[in-house]
Amino acid sequence: MNERLYHLENLTQVYGDRTVLDVDRLDIEIQTITGLIGPNGSGKSTLMRILAFLETPATGRVAFQGQPFSKVPLDLRRQVTMLSQEPYLLKRSVQANVSYGLKLRGISDTVHPVNRALLKVGLDPARFSHRSWRELSGGEAQRVALAARLVLKPKVLLLDEPTASVDRESSELIRHAALDARNRWGTTLIIISHQLTWLRQIADRILSMDYGRLTQVD
Amino acid sequence: MDYILSGLIQAFELLFQGNPETYSAVKTTVLASSLSVVASMAIGSPLGFCLGYARFPGARPIRVVVDTLLALPTVVIGLLCYAFMSHRGPLGDLGLLFTIPGMAVGQTILGLPIVVALTANAVENLDHRLKRTLLTLGAEPHQLLLTSLWEARFALALAGAAAYGRIVSEVGISMMIGGNIKWHTRTITTAIAMETGKGQFAIGIALGLILITLALLVNLAMSRLKRLSGQ
Repeated sequence: MNERLYHLENLTQVYGDRTVLDVDRLDIEIQTITGLIGPNGSGKSTLMRILAFLETPATGRVAFQGQPFSKVPLDLRRQVTMLSQEPYLLKRSVQANVSYGLKLRGISDTVHPVNRALLKVGLDPARFSHRSWRELSGGEAQRVALAARLVLKPKVLLLDEPTASVDRESSELIRHAALDARNRWGTTLIIISHQLTWLRQIADRILSMDYGRLTQVD
Repeated sequence: MDYILSGLIQAFELLFQGNPETYSAVKTTVLASSLSVVASMAIGSPLGFCLGYARFPGARPIRVVVDTLLALPTVVIGLLCYAFMSHRGPLGDLGLLFTIPGMAVGQTILGLPIVVALTANAVENLDHRLKRTLLTLGAEPHQLLLTSLWEARFALALAGAAAYGRIVSEVGISMMIGGNIKWHTRTITTAIAMETGKGQFAIGIALGLILITLALLVNLAMSRLKRLSGQ
């Protein structure tokens, strides 16, 4: 049996007087790829933000690698990274954007890791690494943002609709990069997507979310 | 009209012949305004950042006060500074009255609300995705603050340029705190006021041209910064 990475129990999230998330139990095992589908406003992104330690749940229990949510130390939290549907790029060059997370971790020699990460997402480092953030198309920006996560070799990669605004080629590149991360570094992936066919090609299991509740998709 | 035209011609002569009195006023202006802009930025940027970034009780009334101070008349600042810096005032022993540092203190008070208000606006208008992105990349709180400040750098520079534009063109503080002392605290604006009063249009026009050039440079810098900050 695989090691359990996340364990969620009786989890709820409330905005105002509206309960947006109500999960009885969810276990996510290491090195798995979990797909998450559901209509807009069903609570998928809220769940992702909790898994990324960006939000604290209203009630319930979340454990990451056995550590309770509020006591997960920085070095463990740094093993988790998330790419949102409309990623934000810093007002810097592509090289500086991709190397930002490495520099936060005190790594100064970033050129080769950044180049490798750019190649993984199909961007030629010679052409792109010195480009400014404003010189990128939407699809290129999405890939640069993914490279900025892949360069960290994360234990957990949370992708919130990574293919929503990219062409088919970019969508395939993202799929390959995600699978490569799992195979090379044992990365666990949780991916939100509306594209069930795309998700079936990559995910080990697919969960459906509606009104904040999870069900398994056959 | 003749005296204006001849004044203009004489003004160019003064400028191109390097008239020492004219350039002394320019030097004093640049020195005092540069000192005050640096001080305004050093004090105002962190204050503006806190005001725009942090949510705390009383933030809104503070914003109202800062916005009100944007309209503070220079003569009122001059009056207050004079009261504090005169021999009878609490800062009289520092000997700031009729000095360039004294003028810079007054001009810093003038520039401070501009820097605070524009920095707070810039920080408030930072993309809402920035904080989340930095956190998911592993930023600690101090790294979050520094990167956010760096992301707002063009807007901060814009705040500095706006403050410089206001400071370089003020006359009240320079006149009251500096005293318009020739070769010492006479600035472009105080010299223009005095020379015009004496009927010496040439030197007034010459200094006016320099002031307009400075204002043009500041405006060009602001346009460029606005483009870079994506406004």
